[in-house]
Amino acid sequence: MHIMVVLRLVADLGGDIEIAHGGKDIDREWVDLKLNEFDDHALEEAIFLKEIVGAKVTAIMIDGDGVERSLQTALARGADEARRIAVDDTDGPISSRAMTPVVAAAAAELGADLVLTGVQSPEDIFGQLAPSLGAVLGWPQASAVSSVKPDDGSTITVQQEYSGGVSAAIRLPLPAVLGVQTASRPIRYVTGSKLRQAMAEEIPRIEATAAVAMPDVEIVELRVPDEAGGAVMLDGDADAIADEILRLLADRALLQVC
Amino acid sequence: MISQPAMRFDQPGRRLQGLLAAIGHRRLIRNRYSGILHAMIFVSFFVLATAIVQSFGSVLFPGFSLAPVGGDTWIALAQDVFAIVMLTGVALAAWQRLVLRPARFKGSNNTDANIIYILIVIIVVTMLLEAAFAIVAGSGASAIWRPVSATLGAAFTAMRMSPEFASQAHDVFYWLHVGAILAFVVYIPGSKHRHMLLAAPNVYFRSLKPIGQIPRPTPEVPPPPLAAATDFAWKDMLDTYACTECGRCQAACPAYASGLPLSPKLLITDLRDHFVTQPADAPIVGPTISEDTLWACTTCRACMEVCPVHIEHLPKIIGMRRTLIENGNIQPMLQTALSNLQRVGNSMGTASKMRARWTKGLPFNVKDARKEPVDVLWFVGDFASYDPRVQEISRTVALLFQRAGVDFGILYDSERNSGNDVHRVGEEGLFETLARENIATLSACTFKRIVTTDPHSLNALAQEYSAFGATYDVVHYSAFLLELVEAGRLPLGPTERRTVTYHDPCYLGRYNGGFDAPRALIARAGCAINEMGRCRENSFCCGAGGGRIWQDDSAMTERPSENRIREALALGDAELFVVACPKDSVMYGAAIDALGVSDRIKVVDLAELVMSAAETHS
Amino acid sequence: MKDVLVYIELIEDGVRPSSREAVSAGREIASATGGSVIALIASGEPVGVPTLDGVDRIIHVTHPALGAYTAEAHAAVLADMIAKLDPAAVMLAYTTAGLDLASAVAVTASLPLVAYCTDVTVADGALTTTSQMYGGRLEAVVRAPLPVVVSIMPGAFPEAVTTGASPEIIVQDAPKSLDALRSVFVDEQRPARGSFDLSLAERIVCIGRGIGAADSIAVARELADALNAEIAGSRPVIDQGWLEKERQVGKSGRLVKPRLYIGLGVSGAPEHLEGMRSSDLIIAVNSDAAAPIFTVAHYAAVCDMFDLVPALIERLKAGTP
Repeated sequence: MHIMVVLRLVADLGGDIEIAHGGKDIDREWVDLKLNEFDDHALEEAIFLKEIVGAKVTAIMIDGDGVERSLQTALARGADEARRIAVDDTDGPISSRAMTPVVAAAAAELGADLVLTGVQSPEDIFGQLAPSLGAVLGWPQASAVSSVKPDDGSTITVQQEYSGGVSAAIRLPLPAVLGVQTASRPIRYVTGSKLRQAMAEEIPRIEATAAVAMPDVEIVELRVPDEAGGAVMLDGDADAIADEILRLLADRALLQVC
Repeated sequence: MISQPAMRFDQPGRRLQGLLAAIGHRRLIRNRYSGILHAMIFVSFFVLATAIVQSFGSVLFPGFSLAPVGGDTWIALAQDVFAIVMLTGVALAAWQRLVLRPARFKGSNNTDANIIYILIVIIVVTMLLEAAFAIVAGSGASAIWRPVSATLGAAFTAMRMSPEFASQAHDVFYWLHVGAILAFVVYIPGSKHRHMLLAAPNVYFRSLKPIGQIPRPTPEVPPPPLAAATDFAWKDMLDTYACTECGRCQAACPAYASGLPLSPKLLITDLRDHFVTQPADAPIVGPTISEDTLWACTTCRACMEVCPVHIEHLPKIIGMRRTLIENGNIQPMLQTALSNLQRVGNSMGTASKMRARWTKGLPFNVKDARKEPVDVLWFVGDFASYDPRVQEISRTVALLFQRAGVDFGILYDSERNSGNDVHRVGEEGLFETLARENIATLSACTFKRIVTTDPHSLNALAQEYSAFGATYDVVHYSAFLLELVEAGRLPLGPTERRTVTYHDPCYLGRYNGGFDAPRALIARAGCAINEMGRCRENSFCCGAGGGRIWQDDSAMTERPSENRIREALALGDAELFVVACPKDSVMYGAAIDALGVSDRIKVVDLAELVMSAAETHS
Repeated sequence: MKDVLVYIELIEDGVRPSSREAVSAGREIASATGGSVIALIASGEPVGVPTLDGVDRIIHVTHPALGAYTAEAHAAVLADMIAKLDPAAVMLAYTTAGLDLASAVAVTASLPLVAYCTDVTVADGALTTTSQMYGGRLEAVVRAPLPVVVSIMPGAFPEAVTTGASPEIIVQDAPKSLDALRSVFVDEQRPARGSFDLSLAERIVCIGRGIGAADSIAVARELADALNAEIAGSRPVIDQGWLEKERQVGKSGRLVKPRLYIGLGVSGAPEHLEGMRSSDLIIAVNSDAAAPIFTVAHYAAVCDMFDLVPALIERLKAGTP
């Protein structure tokens, strides 16, 4: 089995978010990039599969700031190979929808028979990557996957999560695409010494063999929603707030021991 | 058993000096009762050794006698007198162990101690009786030089004992005396009393390295994980055999006090038992020393500070933690903190670009030391940069610097956690990454000296980065502010005289000797210090150090910080709890809230105290 | 190209509420385009079309492969219907099925997609939506030409109400591709009865990522005990292994509706909000004034939970004899 894991960097939003001039993007002055947390789980699941059935794992990212280090980290965590894919210069981050043809071409080229990526990213308002990839590649797909079990080599059984704690086991033939929600195990810590070794590795940069393709849809304005929405704000110091909360509970008879 | 080298044969003069200090009971006497009783037994032992020489010499070498050098005169007198001193010392020891029963003895081998008391009493009493019978029999030293034995002899004579009987009794007690000595000699090596033999070499071969350093073999080679006996150095083994199980370390340990499963004493004795009974390659971490024990340590160094025989607990704990890290045995909270440090250079996981955001609340722009030369480069530290409670203090420090006309700058988003506690968690690779990143950033800046508000950063910058060839002139802000005040650059006005107490941060005080500057500043700010019992070298850790701040404290029965606040409250008149470490502001602020005593005592940072005095200056 | 096609998700006892919300979002678009709202129901048995208010027509496709959900089968039906009807908009709710299907059919039909919508309007032949980004931390105003695929945030629209007339039900044949599916449904797991069930709790103290690294869950637990509440956690807390999986609140955990929900350091990711927003009384405490949970909370406080919680515990203990 050759697993390709698609990783994406997203903005690491802190306490106060500010919108940049032009109103279509966040002010990135105080913002770092970080690995999309679901992609992190996808990588963990891939390495988990590698450990139990001996798969080969290749991590790929669309090239950009911070990508090399993220891929080196993926190697330190157990990925066998990593590739950064160079695409033509575009303004700002490339959406999951737009990168779909590029990633699909890479999957075909690398000969991957299982593609794992995060079920969603905080920026993917134009569509999620896994189902889009499945549609482009013509491979079966499942989102919100919480575990992957290889069957006999030609099929896998995945656990798909629905709301209310309900989940279903679905058997898919390979090749397939999965949007991973949670890895089968907690994300393992990779030691600083392993990371340091991986930092010495250069990540091959390959040219995209398909073009970025984006339907005619755009963000015309980005804004920070009204603080607190409809909630009644409790003000004052901790003691004042505690008094207020106790009064609320007492009013609703929530203080009695039931 | 195969062990690692330790490099402890340098600087014989300094080593000997330390040994003499230990012989002088410098550490032992800090605990007065046991210090005095130990000194009584210790000195008596050397005096009574002459009796042993006499007893064995006279049989092994016919004609041997100490008489020509005073064996029947002043040596005899000394033996008699110190027999009583010895018995008094042993009585005090037994009283302590059986009646006073201080908590530090919990877990020690008390049977072992009692057997030794009995053996010593037998040896001494048989010696006295042997001499007393000799006097009755008319042989041996004259009664004048043996007042105690003579008194006993007089009692026997009064009981109408014949000289013949006394002579036979003398022989009996001679053999009893010799037998007891032999029993003692046989018993000692297998008991904790082997410290009589090993304490001196253990003190002599103590580490002379700066105490804030975790020695690194070479810049390229990190210190190894300690997993099995073969990974430990011979000095580590000597440490464990030299342990007297006195429990001073246990009494000083904040982790032990908080109910966590760590006693520095038991850690050492468990290691000793492992070395003795297990194969050399048997894993230690897990089967012998549990994960929870290792993670409990705050690396405050109180244990090593009080150990009379200079046992080095911390290098062992940290070395075994390296094994845990290497095997991926990391608690979830700690893993989050370490992953955050890998990702953004701070344990909170907040974007590195947010690091200097606290400066936005200042009425002036703080210089970017990466872009222009500065006199003073301020290494701010994680908590002072990111924790909202401490950011306010950071702004106060900045305002003080500005008031004093200091030309200072910060590293903005290029600063990384200093790695001090990462190093002590055992994450060598991450420590190296953080250290090398900071060193690279600093090497591109022009500055005269570094000031840091964080004692942990102080330790890393001043002591640890030299392992990578980087040395700096680093000063803690307490010392720097004092300098400014003394130079008249930061004039302080008259303030209402208040009584405060001051908490010595471990990494400022014990590790870097910064005891006096904070106290001088407090005095300059017009406050009187009422010291807590545990102050200066004996300060009690807040519980945050060595990576503990990144771990779950739900297993604690009492948080060290709360224990400490109770100690401050017991002073009765301290209104303020003055701190000089950002982590302390966080830890003690939380402790005061948890105890619900915010009406009785308040945590205040040194900088805030100085600012309030500076503001009254017209 | 005027009609609006709504994908209806079936659950044990009928239609998933968020599908009814998709219907009312679809109605807003249909009123602007002057078309009908057409519901697509795909099921395994040819019987039992559930009552569905607010739609003009129901297209019912049945096939044995549609009985238990697989993305492949349902995407095939939906894509087939888009090709046949050429609708102005295709509406789905952002559930696991919505997640699976929306992007897939958008790519297959070469349509733009806008996800996480909380508001939709159509003017001049183009759709304008308000969409959540970063779990509600940001809102994007997005413009897309029609035809378009729209995935809506559950809870953002009201459930559709009846239009009076019963919708016409048209039974359609399933596409041939359903006879040669590769994905196979194996079995379904439901939370075991009798085991600990968070969804039955009357009072919940829920902790989130904001519990931080420096302090512990013990404080929150103490508060829960003092309130006689169950302790629960958001997804990151469970993923870290700090609490058991059965104590997870949210779409991927338990949907809860307690009389009291107190969120400590819970920022309020959409998946979490979906799991607790219908609680009777929601009190949220967060040090971040922009935490999205404040948008669903009834009472909110910006403060450090480690300041507040001890104060609460103290008062609760003082009040209990």
